[in-house]
Amino acid sequence: MTRFSSGKRRVNSPLPSGSSQWHYSREHTRTAWIILTPILIYYIIFAIFPVLANTYLSFMKWNGITGLPVWNGLDNYVRYFYPPYPQIILNTFIFALTTMFIQVILGFGMALLLNQKVRGLGFYRSMWYIPTITSTAIMAQMVSIFISPYGGVVNNVLSNMGMPIVIWQTSPFWMRLIIILFSLWRGVGGTMVLFLAGLQGIHPELYDAAKVDGANGWQQLRYLTIPLLKPTTLFIIVTNIIGGFQIFEAVQLISKGGPFNQTNVMLLQIYSDAFTNSDFGTASSGATIMALLLLGASIVMIRLMSQEDAK
Amino acid sequence: MKTQRYLQRLFIHGVLLVGGVAMMYPLLFALAVSFMTEAEYSQVSWLPLPRHLYLGNYFQLFAGAGNIWLWAFNTLFRIAWYIIVPGATSILGGYVFARLRFRGRNLVFIFLLSALLLPGIVFQVPSYVMLARWPLAGGNNLIGLGGSGFINEWPALLIPGLVNSYYIFFFRQSFYAIPIDYEEAARVDGATTFQILRLIYLPMLGPAIAVMVIFQSVALWNDYVWPWIAVGGNPNVWPVALGFQQIMASSYKVPGVGIANYPFLLTVAMVASMPPVLLFLFLQRYFVEGVQGFGIKG
Repeated sequence: MTRFSSGKRRVNSPLPSGSSQWHYSREHTRTAWIILTPILIYYIIFAIFPVLANTYLSFMKWNGITGLPVWNGLDNYVRYFYPPYPQIILNTFIFALTTMFIQVILGFGMALLLNQKVRGLGFYRSMWYIPTITSTAIMAQMVSIFISPYGGVVNNVLSNMGMPIVIWQTSPFWMRLIIILFSLWRGVGGTMVLFLAGLQGIHPELYDAAKVDGANGWQQLRYLTIPLLKPTTLFIIVTNIIGGFQIFEAVQLISKGGPFNQTNVMLLQIYSDAFTNSDFGTASSGATIMALLLLGASIVMIRLMSQEDAK
Repeated sequence: MKTQRYLQRLFIHGVLLVGGVAMMYPLLFALAVSFMTEAEYSQVSWLPLPRHLYLGNYFQLFAGAGNIWLWAFNTLFRIAWYIIVPGATSILGGYVFARLRFRGRNLVFIFLLSALLLPGIVFQVPSYVMLARWPLAGGNNLIGLGGSGFINEWPALLIPGLVNSYYIFFFRQSFYAIPIDYEEAARVDGATTFQILRLIYLPMLGPAIAVMVIFQSVALWNDYVWPWIAVGGNPNVWPVALGFQQIMASSYKVPGVGIANYPFLLTVAMVASMPPVLLFLFLQRYFVEGVQGFGIKG
């Protein structure tokens, strides 16, 4: 950006392109720090300090109630290599990745259909989006009422239709499937709305040009829509993975991690380590591992997408 | 050609409608059952049509099962608190980063946003410890031992989350959408920064504030995990999502004593979900704009 346009940039653009041409005002500096000082003090106490405390506690042994933390070396991290922890991390990956894949495909498909200038857009969009704004906890608790073994909604309907009832809670297959379906049901509406926004942002003239060049519907999708939606897709994939890793209420209230830890996930284990087993050291190391996994996953995703761009 | 086009439309509407009904089915099923008696419920099929509108479950709930009115009041109070305080810090913060030029601005901004990179759990366990070990609160001594601090008390529900990096970013973006000329004109007339914020920017930020009000309202109405951790032991300060979930969970846990009243439990779920759904139906535009604003611009 040249300095000739800097007068115009001031209105819309956030960042100074080079500090040499940037003018710092004393008046601005004073006002800024009057506003920022309390915000930063609060932020350091309630955001930075907890992160540091979490890292500190992850090397300690402490029940959180009496006495003071005692140095415990790497034991809390080492514990994550022994059962049941590897299974729990694996379950978390399975839930996050399965949900993300299906959600992206389904959300994209529905957004494509909604983008065909259909009448009743708001009506259809509402039906897909309403599950997203309900409370996860209430809905998860509702599902556990649905699948309650005796007299629960599903078994009640099954037996009224003359079919055998199923004890869902003892089957890892059913519990996993139900939790994945629940996460999809709550998440797909948001993904769809984001894809729809991306689609609506594509200039219609591009499609006209493609038609003039003789591209059919499939080719337009393959060579125009999908490449143009790459930033949207990257954003959706990364946020879905980050959200999916933090699955908690669904597991806590529907399966309680059972049967035999087959649906247990990291957050549920961290909370039970901290608040049931009073082992804040192990809980903190779990939180650190989770943060590192998520940072790693986001970096890998962004790398992958930008490598494809370079090709 | 014309029939093909017609069939295509029919297909699109068919898929959208079938998919939409499938999405709504669990909620509509629960809604229908909430108007049933237990006897009617025991005969229910996959298509639950109540024979008449039985309102007994709703009367039972609104007559004060649990502490529902207290929980509703608690939740509304938290909604107001978490709109006013984080709203003020976010608008001020957004203004600083959008409009003021000072050394270190980008560094401070990145510092404030860095919290968004980490999952909430990294903050929650130590925040719990911090509130539990708060010196001289709830029976604690000077180094924070001996009592339970703010755990199970109101401050645990009101202290965290008053500076919200998301909304600082969101309002910074909103300030960019407003031309700077208004501010410059007011400065020429001798207005101070806080007058400019109050008299010029606050009204012009209306739509952005509306988005924040709506999203905070829904988020706090549905807030469950932190209250469960921090005040799980004190039903007097519970918010709606935790309280209603507890009603559903506690009646559900005693199948040996007699089968739980499922139509009533589903009524509880419906009443808890109704306010956000109604808010969405009336203000759909803001929801969609908000989701897109957080997503695409962010």
